[in-house]
Amino acid sequence: MFRSALTRVSHVARSSMLDTSARVPAATVSRNMSKHSTETDAELDARYEAYFSRPDIDGWEIRKAMNDLCGMDLVPEPKIVIAALKACRRNNDFALAVRFLEAVKEKCGGRVKEIYPYILQEINPTLQELGINTPEELGYDKPELALASVYE
Amino acid sequence: MFKNNVKLHHIIMALNMVTRRALALTLQQLSRQQTAAAASTLSKIGNREVVGFGFNGSPAYVDRVDFPMPAVRFREDTPDVQVLREKEMGDWKKLTLEEKKALYRASFCQTFAEMTAPSGEWKSVLGVTLILSSLAVWIYLWMKVFVYSPLPETLKPEYQEAQLKRMIDLRANPVEGTSSQWDYSKGDWK
Repeated sequence: MFRSALTRVSHVARSSMLDTSARVPAATVSRNMSKHSTETDAELDARYEAYFSRPDIDGWEIRKAMNDLCGMDLVPEPKIVIAALKACRRNNDFALAVRFLEAVKEKCGGRVKEIYPYILQEINPTLQELGINTPEELGYDKPELALASVYE
Repeated sequence: MFKNNVKLHHIIMALNMVTRRALALTLQQLSRQQTAAAASTLSKIGNREVVGFGFNGSPAYVDRVDFPMPAVRFREDTPDVQVLREKEMGDWKKLTLEEKKALYRASFCQTFAEMTAPSGEWKSVLGVTLILSSLAVWIYLWMKVFVYSPLPETLKPEYQEAQLKRMIDLRANPVEGTSSQWDYSKGDWK
């Protein structure tokens, strides 16, 4: 009886171990009684920069991390943006890089005139190095095409 | 996760044979339904490449400002897109502006500027609201002419004056109201 229980326990333990490998590595959080995270800004920056800098990162993982980042109430730091752009380059996805820049501009909200030029200034060396155009250079800061109405 | 599985195992072992079989059949049905649902969504995307999680995990394309990276590419993988993808693997500085724009449009439908552009819908909303309000006013005017009976005679000016004189004669509201404004020695308003 004990042997069968042990095999069952080891099966469950192995499956729970396998689950954690694909997730974004958690920050140094010990135990929270509330949902409020105790992660500092620097820890979050470091976590996302490390995640984007993974050499074997997948297109799926880049997009998930970008969507999560854009869901948070913050404008990504230039170093996170640089790491994400380099990850796009490793995955050979140019459109994704431009889309991320558009998303970062959108995250600036009402203070886009103060924040966005600063971010562009900080990431300019990376843009030159990788050959990524900003949305403005592609003409995508103004609407280009109109969507046909489904009612006509 | 670990504790829950062990607990679940104990619970399942404690059930008798009949309930265990019923549970197994329901679980099978559930998983079949789930795969059928996933298959039907996947069958709608055609040749498009699934590239991410999107906004809820289903392989659908939606332009959303809060979920900038959709789960599938916008356009299907056609030979001309394949050519662009080959070029994309090399140096991006070698791509022309047109090719870069084509790559963007292959993966995405609308740019952020197009997504968030004002639609001008407020003009039609305001216009229709005002038209309906004016229609309501026309209906009231028609009612006044054709439906409502004439006002009573007692609202004519002569009748109203006579009523006021009666109120003053009766000393109505003499402290702070109507009669307090009438000077009885003078026979006129104060």
